[in-house]
Amino acid sequence: MMRPLLDVQNLTIELTTRDGVAPVIDDLSFSLNAGETLSFVGESGCGKSMTALALMGLLPANVGRISSGHILFEGADLAQASDARLRKIRGNDISMIFQEPMTSLNPVLTIGEQIAEVLRAHQGLSRKAAWEQAIALLDAVRIPNPKGRAGDYPFQMSGGQRQRAMIAMALACAPKILIADEPTTALDVTVQAQIFDLLGDLRKQTGAAIILITHDMGAVAEMAERMIVMYAGRKAELGPVDQIIDHPRHPYTKGLIECVPHIQSELSSTRHDLVEVPGIVPSLREFGKDQCLFASRCRYLTEACLAGRPKPKEFANAQSADCWHAEEL
Amino acid sequence: MSDLLNVDNLTVRFEVKRGGGWGKKSYLYAVDDISFAVKKGETLAIVGESGSGKTTAALAVARLVKAHSGSVCLGGEDVLQTQDEDLRAFRQKVQFIFQDPYSSLNPRQRAEAIVREPLDSLSNKSAAEKTQIVEGLFQAVGLRPEQQRLFPHQFSGGQRQRIGIARALATQPELIICDEPVSALDVAVQAQILNLLRKLQKDFGLTYLFISHDLGVVQHMSDSIAVMYMGRIVEHADRMSLFTAPRHPYTQALLSAVPTVDRVKRASQKRILIPGDPPDPVNLPKGCRFANRCLVAQELCHRQEPALMSDDNGHRTACHLVS
Amino acid sequence: MTRPELQEEETLQAQHPFTESWAMFRKNTAAVAALALLTLITFGAIFGPMLYPVDPFEMVWAPFSPPGEEGFLLGTDYLGRDLLSMIINGAKVSLMIGVSAALMTVIIGVTVGALAGFYRGIVEEILMRITEFFQVLPTLLFSMVLVALFGASLPMITFAIGIVSWTAVARITRSEFLRIRELEYVMASRASGASNMKLMFRVILPNALPPIIVQSALMVGSAILFEAGLSFLGLTDPNVVSWGQIIGSNRQYILDAGYTVTIPGVAIFVTVLAISLVGDGLNDALNPKLRQR
Repeated sequence: MMRPLLDVQNLTIELTTRDGVAPVIDDLSFSLNAGETLSFVGESGCGKSMTALALMGLLPANVGRISSGHILFEGADLAQASDARLRKIRGNDISMIFQEPMTSLNPVLTIGEQIAEVLRAHQGLSRKAAWEQAIALLDAVRIPNPKGRAGDYPFQMSGGQRQRAMIAMALACAPKILIADEPTTALDVTVQAQIFDLLGDLRKQTGAAIILITHDMGAVAEMAERMIVMYAGRKAELGPVDQIIDHPRHPYTKGLIECVPHIQSELSSTRHDLVEVPGIVPSLREFGKDQCLFASRCRYLTEACLAGRPKPKEFANAQSADCWHAEEL
Repeated sequence: MSDLLNVDNLTVRFEVKRGGGWGKKSYLYAVDDISFAVKKGETLAIVGESGSGKTTAALAVARLVKAHSGSVCLGGEDVLQTQDEDLRAFRQKVQFIFQDPYSSLNPRQRAEAIVREPLDSLSNKSAAEKTQIVEGLFQAVGLRPEQQRLFPHQFSGGQRQRIGIARALATQPELIICDEPVSALDVAVQAQILNLLRKLQKDFGLTYLFISHDLGVVQHMSDSIAVMYMGRIVEHADRMSLFTAPRHPYTQALLSAVPTVDRVKRASQKRILIPGDPPDPVNLPKGCRFANRCLVAQELCHRQEPALMSDDNGHRTACHLVS
Repeated sequence: MTRPELQEEETLQAQHPFTESWAMFRKNTAAVAALALLTLITFGAIFGPMLYPVDPFEMVWAPFSPPGEEGFLLGTDYLGRDLLSMIINGAKVSLMIGVSAALMTVIIGVTVGALAGFYRGIVEEILMRITEFFQVLPTLLFSMVLVALFGASLPMITFAIGIVSWTAVARITRSEFLRIRELEYVMASRASGASNMKLMFRVILPNALPPIIVQSALMVGSAILFEAGLSFLGLTDPNVVSWGQIIGSNRQYILDAGYTVTIPGVAIFVTVLAISLVGDGLNDALNPKLRQR
């Protein structure tokens, strides 16, 4: 069998807070194959972004640290790697785009300069070659008149164009993995459609794997092949997107899908109440307890849920859910 | 049922400084000559993307932003010109729910004082009566009585929005304007708030003007929908017609752009990608404002701005290609 | 159907923002020490003259008696006056000038800044031009002129200090008002029918206070320094003793009897430093960005 591009094994990340140490990522394992799109879903505070930062080696210094587990990228463990090696991988092999393109770009440099800078630093291109390559990249992300726009400053561009420029910069060194952290949350829906379309095409052209972090089940359904639902730092459910949407095996996944009023193809004049997931994500203090952390919000709560942390249940269709009642759902 | 709110030819413009100093004044028409009506007890949604003017329109209706021209009639009375006592009466009847539950509550007030504020300013009730009303409101929005003494930062986002809703209900208004009431909340909490809003509408016979960019939420909440683009209403129809048979190319693109878990819809519908960006709102093109991004635009569209025309069923569209 | 969202323990702690700020302030050891010192100085200024009833203007011994000798803890000055008594009595005057000048800057500055930031437009234009006018005045020169023209009484000195230093408070207040007036809760109060006066002073001002409080605490320090500067130049009420005045009157003997200048200098230094540290602590405690959730 082919070795996966990225293999994360039993990753645990601890965050030091005022109230002590909390496992913001608690024993997470997953793999990512070359060219695949994997999506992380969950509410804010569930550890989606923390996973991305860990993969990039960008955990907040002195606050967050990998306490156990491995991040195997092409066989080498990033959890043990030196800062210098991580810096080399970051940008070259794994790159990231963020939610807010305005604050992620340097406001005093032109877009072209910023992309060229990345190319010169990582690939040792000459000034002129880097500039030309930057223009080619802007063209690849469908910015009209790339030659002219390369001289623009971030504030002169619209939100959608800034996100494109971010993507161009992330793609500068032809990374093997592109991590997109809520890339369209700040954008309008028509612009989001453009960006999703662009990301899909770029994946086909470059063969890069994409990790898409989002709270929007619709986006997951459109973009990804597999998804991981995160809750309170733990994996709740993992599997192929279509299978999970058709038949979620974890009550949280079910809640996430049902609580959103999706646009329906068949519209009826009677409207029912939305299914609620009561309550909110537990505070960091609750993280790491030996019980199901979703129990306090769950309709299917039984004694077993409070007695121990649920073990993942594997299903034949490659779906797996960390729930004591997965089979009943 | 009869119309509670009639908005006619409402225009809101802002002065913009270009080139600095004593240059010529130019204006940004955030809301440009829009008209609509809301029936009593129903929900009208205004949808649009950023820069469409939907929030400005809502603020102008609530008299929180000054309208340049046009009229806003509530129960047959033009409210844009009212002053003092009449304005107080208007504020009692029209309340606002804000988008951001974090910045819409005064951090130095206790929850109970926040909810009581409209009563203090707008009603002549006794202190005991107010206390009783506030207590009832807390119950109505699903908060516990002991939480009245807390400060905003001690609540979660969803609870803060409940406080905002309780405040809007305090004066027993007829119309509540909801400006993106759930867009700042986590998905699971959104459902709680949307259900609450619908329940309150039923219980108190409220009329909503519902501003949102989220078409799924709009489909769930509203009875009719007005789609805005660059300060204009481009399409306005009841829920069924707009979602099943959208006519304006922009509405069609907007609907197709929403990612959905519904596999049938995804398979059956080709996504319409509209290219480019909206035009500069200060220097609008001569013709249709959507023409530069429209996939079916014709020569006429670049020359002449289409009017919002109604068909026999009251489905209004502003497009030369729809007739 | 819906369950309560918060756990019980979280419901109970109805902490006032003030309590929280105080908890934050207490973490800053330097600021707490400075506050203790400041309290001590204030008590000394109020009760000192009773505990050490020596007239600061009376010649008690030969001039230039060094500290510790001849029974005078801090020695005597060029007229043979007891320096300890002068420091104690001077503390009251220096602190009083500092506090009342700072109070004056706050009253003028907050009013001007609030009106400018709230009403914008022509009101802002006029008020900010006036503020700029006072800002570009050479402060020391202007206050010297005022004191020279209208006499060196304590109220006049206070007024002279206040009138040249309110601009900083006005600018801070205005910028806070500009920021806060755009927040939704202000809009919400307006939708609830609040009047402009209520919006300005009941809604916006309380939320704008933290940086103003910090600035005015620092203002006390700089007013004390300012008074010292004026006294040093001889522009002071000869009938009261202040720290600056001690330095001013002894300045010719700085080489022969350095302690007559050093001791009041240290008193000013320590007090102003303590005020700055408290101001710093306040800044941390009142700034919600630094405060953890």
